[in-house]
Amino acid sequence: MLRLTGVVAMCLVAVLAAAVAVVGFRTHGGEISAGTLQGVVPALALTWAVTPLSTPFCALLAILATAVAIWCVRRGAPGDALLIAAFSAAMLLVLVARSVALFFLAWEAMSLISAFLVVTNHERRGVRRATFVYLVVAQTGAFCVLVALALLAFAAGDTSFAAIGAHAARLSSGLRDTVFVLALVGFGSKAGLMPLHFWLPRAHPVAPASASAMLSGVMLKVALFGLLVVTFELAAPGPSWWGIALVAIGAVSAVGGVLYALVDHDLKRLLAYHSVENVGIIAIGIGVALLARSAGIPSLAGLALIAALFHTVNHGIFKALLFLGAGTVAEVDGTVDLERLGGLWGELVWTAPFFLIGCAAITGLPPFNGFASEWLTFQSLIGGLSGGGLAATFVFIAAIAGLALTGGLAAACFVKVFGVVFLGRSRRPSPRLVMRERFDASALGVGLLAGLCIALGVFPMFAVVPLARVVMETLVVTALVPPSLPMLPATLAALPLAGALVCVVMAARRGVRHVPTWTCGSPVTAAAQYTATAFSKPLRTIFAFVLMPEQRRRYEMGSSHWFPKRILYRTESRYLVDEVARRLASAVLRFARRSRLVQSGSLRLYVAYSVGTLIVAIALAR
Amino acid sequence: MIVALQVLVIAALAPLVQGTMKRLRANLQGRPGPSPFQPYRDLAKLLNKEALLPQGVSPIPLVAPGIALGVALTFAALLPIVTPNLAGRVVDVVALAFLLGLGRFVLALAALDTRSAFAGMAASREMTFSSLVEPALLLALLGGAVLGKGTQLSSLLDAPFGLAGMLAFAAFFLVILAETARVPVEDQETHYELTMIHEGLTLEYSGWQLAMLQSAADIRQLCFFVVAAMLLPGGTAIWPHLAWILGLMGAVTLVETLFAKLRLFEVPQLLTIAFVLATTSIVLRVLGVLA
Repeated sequence: MLRLTGVVAMCLVAVLAAAVAVVGFRTHGGEISAGTLQGVVPALALTWAVTPLSTPFCALLAILATAVAIWCVRRGAPGDALLIAAFSAAMLLVLVARSVALFFLAWEAMSLISAFLVVTNHERRGVRRATFVYLVVAQTGAFCVLVALALLAFAAGDTSFAAIGAHAARLSSGLRDTVFVLALVGFGSKAGLMPLHFWLPRAHPVAPASASAMLSGVMLKVALFGLLVVTFELAAPGPSWWGIALVAIGAVSAVGGVLYALVDHDLKRLLAYHSVENVGIIAIGIGVALLARSAGIPSLAGLALIAALFHTVNHGIFKALLFLGAGTVAEVDGTVDLERLGGLWGELVWTAPFFLIGCAAITGLPPFNGFASEWLTFQSLIGGLSGGGLAATFVFIAAIAGLALTGGLAAACFVKVFGVVFLGRSRRPSPRLVMRERFDASALGVGLLAGLCIALGVFPMFAVVPLARVVMETLVVTALVPPSLPMLPATLAALPLAGALVCVVMAARRGVRHVPTWTCGSPVTAAAQYTATAFSKPLRTIFAFVLMPEQRRRYEMGSSHWFPKRILYRTESRYLVDEVARRLASAVLRFARRSRLVQSGSLRLYVAYSVGTLIVAIALAR
Repeated sequence: MIVALQVLVIAALAPLVQGTMKRLRANLQGRPGPSPFQPYRDLAKLLNKEALLPQGVSPIPLVAPGIALGVALTFAALLPIVTPNLAGRVVDVVALAFLLGLGRFVLALAALDTRSAFAGMAASREMTFSSLVEPALLLALLGGAVLGKGTQLSSLLDAPFGLAGMLAFAAFFLVILAETARVPVEDQETHYELTMIHEGLTLEYSGWQLAMLQSAADIRQLCFFVVAAMLLPGGTAIWPHLAWILGLMGAVTLVETLFAKLRLFEVPQLLTIAFVLATTSIVLRVLGVLA
């Protein structure tokens, strides 16, 4: 009953979000003022309205809420769905908020409800700590957001976004930059941009899979929506360094996120690190758009913003798919540890192929949706190579290289994920009852998203044309979409698909004999398979200067030194951000310990302090 | 239609290129070597043989050779050799990099599915090196785009060949050595599974599936040579580029004869050199000096 209520509530939110998206898409420029609640104080007026910019985000929310609701019918704890419905409603409220008070209220509601989602499994080790870290970051970020919005409201003398936006052109450059930095910290930490991403790989994996899907799929995007609203409306237009900074931060996040994902062997934490990577890619698009607008190249700004929004929608879809798939794996196998999984293809006959589509899409392989948006991001970066000044050029070259490296590393990572989890043989020490999956609601939810990955990949114009209109109304520019995009995915995928069909036909006509794997004559065992740790070992070694891996080997000796009974191998990465934070904390503590000298506990000394302070105060006041 | 002809010609010539290089390498090493036409005989033999696959695998290893061949054929179709080339106009350098990634992804997954430690090792190394190759590959081919001629492969054809052009070519040459499994990166003639990368991925294949994979590798190799020739001067005429391709075959074989295989963890340094060369070339082009 609880489950059903939650699912129905989620569907209601989805319908509402879809309605908002449709209304937003129907408007031509500006906003449909839907209503205002005047508070006791005018500054607390709650205004909500539908703007074109919020439509892609609302559409994404509607899609994901539907898919997650369907998945929740079959899997997950019964109480999850209701909380997720509330969480989705809060996110929808953020998307339609058009005054400082309402935006901040909705933002806080979103943060707090999501904290409850993160702490769901509070009895497990580390969950409460993760929630604490999340709350600290969320509240610090919220504070920055509030200050940024308050500064803008003070400058404009009104708290509605429409008034602030109208006043934006008259802001002083110092205030503008302050607001940007605050917004970058506030929204960037929520979105998971490096180096403020550290809460994300802690919080997302401990939440239930359905909640992780919404957190990674939508909440990070809502934070990016906030950044877009501030940079393109409330504090627009910004100087060119905003764009350069965002491109640089995005490139660092993309490469860093995927590197940490590579060495991680907890399926859900790995996916969380990939969210950092993809948010980085989106940030690159936003950065190029900002830079192009300040450089006066509106067509490039439009293209970059389309790329960013398209990747936002795409990442939401395939990341939710992957998290839901991981949730199914966790329920079926009881673990998300890559070292213990394996061979699930034969068991999860529906989820596994859908998960493969998600892996291909997030890697950016044609003809799936990730390819189209990553390709557009590349196009916007290449378009911005010449035309933004020298600093911009160097940052862009680095970003192109970083994005290419990210693509390659993401491919390596998802080969690891899919190959280890679904292919080969199970790595469980003790066998368990294997039940062939039937096509149920959870498979339907995942399959729906997989279908969207294919549809938006093969026909990217279904998304790009509406997004171009949104961008046109937000930026008031016409976006120049490369004319080859509609044909591109089909051209790339036609021959490989034909080749695959030829293989199937050949196998049907001539037959393929199945024989034991050749392992140099020794018996084929599951232990001989390559593991996730082994797979990522070369990259761990090559990128040791970032990942700082630590290895520990322990030998249990048998009869002689030469025949160990067991070898235990452990490897862990240290995290640069954590290391820096730890150093900083220890420095602060050391300073505090030193300054404890003044606190001797002797009453006479304290009296002396007071007298001293009084003398100084009088001397200063004179 | 004429593009189909181009693909057919490339696919037909690709084994000959591989055979010629094998013969040349043998001769340079003082061995008589097989006939240049040996790859055709091998393909014919393999096509008539039965295919074997490991027990209990998913359908991925079954379709992977076809996908790899399809990727190679698409690559062949993109090359701006014949003039009305629709595919080449639609697919640009960036999309090409993603396309090559598709073939690699499927082959690596298939290798992991075979449960063989050697195949898994090869998959890991292939994905590692390819991710390091990708930035160099992309930046080396973006020279035309920087000059404002778009990102299509044909934009490379009439780019000026100054220092920047030379650096881009040098970077791409190193990329080719890695992408076509040549000596400083790996040894095609090895029989030692521990050092195999491309060969290791195909270790469990046989019969017509192996024929598809070998043909795909040959076609990919020839396509890479064609692209490299496009980075060299010669304008839009076809003959100088043919000469360059022959020269490249000789150069790669010479490198294979003169150098030893690098240790596995020294390969990233080679690829970093390629990346630095490509970046320098782009920077020079953007700044407009020595371009």
